[in-house]
Amino acid sequence: MPRRSRRPRTTLLLLVLAAVTIITLDARGGLHVVTSGVRSVASDAFTPIRSGVNAVVEPIGSFLAGSVHYGAVREQNQKLQAEIDQLKMQQAGAAQQEQALKQLSALLNLPYLGNLQTVPAEVTDFGTSDFAATVDLDVGRADGVQLNMPVVGLGGLVGLVVEVSHHTATVRLITDGQSAVGTVYGPAPGSLAVLNGTGPGKPLSADLVPSNTPLTPGEVFTTSGLPGALFPPGIPVATVTSAHTGTTANQESVSLQPKADLAHLRYVSVVLWGPST
Amino acid sequence: MTARDAARLTLVVFGFVVVQETLMLDLRIGGVHPDIMVLLPIVAGIIGGPSRGATIGFGTGLVSDLFLPTPFGLSALVGCLVGFAVGLATVALDRTAWWLAPAVALAGSAVYELAYGALGSVLGQPQMLHVALARIVVVVAVTNAVLAWPAMRVMSWGMTQSSTEGMPTSDIGVGAAR
Repeated sequence: MPRRSRRPRTTLLLLVLAAVTIITLDARGGLHVVTSGVRSVASDAFTPIRSGVNAVVEPIGSFLAGSVHYGAVREQNQKLQAEIDQLKMQQAGAAQQEQALKQLSALLNLPYLGNLQTVPAEVTDFGTSDFAATVDLDVGRADGVQLNMPVVGLGGLVGLVVEVSHHTATVRLITDGQSAVGTVYGPAPGSLAVLNGTGPGKPLSADLVPSNTPLTPGEVFTTSGLPGALFPPGIPVATVTSAHTGTTANQESVSLQPKADLAHLRYVSVVLWGPST
Repeated sequence: MTARDAARLTLVVFGFVVVQETLMLDLRIGGVHPDIMVLLPIVAGIIGGPSRGATIGFGTGLVSDLFLPTPFGLSALVGCLVGFAVGLATVALDRTAWWLAPAVALAGSAVYELAYGALGSVLGQPQMLHVALARIVVVVAVTNAVLAWPAMRVMSWGMTQSSTEGMPTSDIGVGAAR
């Protein structure tokens, strides 16, 4: 009898040890190449399945989403209804496609990127996990995208490529709690600060801003481009929304809003740039 | 476990992954999408008991980790713990009772998400506690409670040839579907 009751616990112990070993090896880099490769293969293998199934079940998903968001959909419906009359007055045609074209054209001519090469991409998913702020793109290694490449949107920096497969890539948004971006602010050459993500949909916070630094709402922080930095210099990252210094604090408490509209991303550009280039 | 059992179980897991990565990712409730992969260790624990719940929770967790940006192995760790706990907690209960699967799915999913955030935070991802955790727990727990019966039916088909620590899986599956 005692042997029988011990068996499940032994099984659990072995499985927990195995899981902790995998997590540790992955975090320390020893296994990361393997896990990253396996994830990439899984993503590549699953992309056509996902596309195929989506084509069949998307109407069902839209119906479910519509029923869950009934209130919001109804309100949106009323607004859209009001806009229909206005739209009828305008030239008929594919307004949505025109807008998408405008967005893509604008993305190809972002002034702050200079001569850096980019790959335009469409956002296909707003994150597979509720515990991380990520988006999935429809471009991958086949398009020249590599790990740790910066991603920008119409307003500014969007994030960093953290997973890449043959035809897809996952981008960690600058709002993710693991994100840290080296920036400069103020008059040239600028003071250094690190902007940290605090979670999906939440404002960014700034580190290394000395107490009583005069910051005004709307002031823009741009990427620093210091040697070894993950981002090229001069990309707008966020604007100050509030700043204050506590009585005993040696740093200013700064809250910032990302320049890019991360909640409504549709098209982005992957910058073909790495710290060594 | 025979090759036929393994094939059936693989098919069930694959089906869950397809549904999760297509329908469930499109469905967002309060900004949170349901996570039916969490149901796998829970229903496996109810049907197969602690040992099988832990083993299947570990395996399905690794599969989930392939599609998540969070640390690789974290879902496997939480999956085996939850599968084991569910098996242990339900082994003495009447597992054919109609209310058991939804109730355990509700509680088990809530525990899973809380443990996921807490363990992720302990393992070097502190931001995992700075998300809308309460909303995630509620959405995932409630949707999984609603989907518990069909999940039990499907999983009992996937584990049909396996003996359990308590009673035949077929009885539990049929009981759950009543």
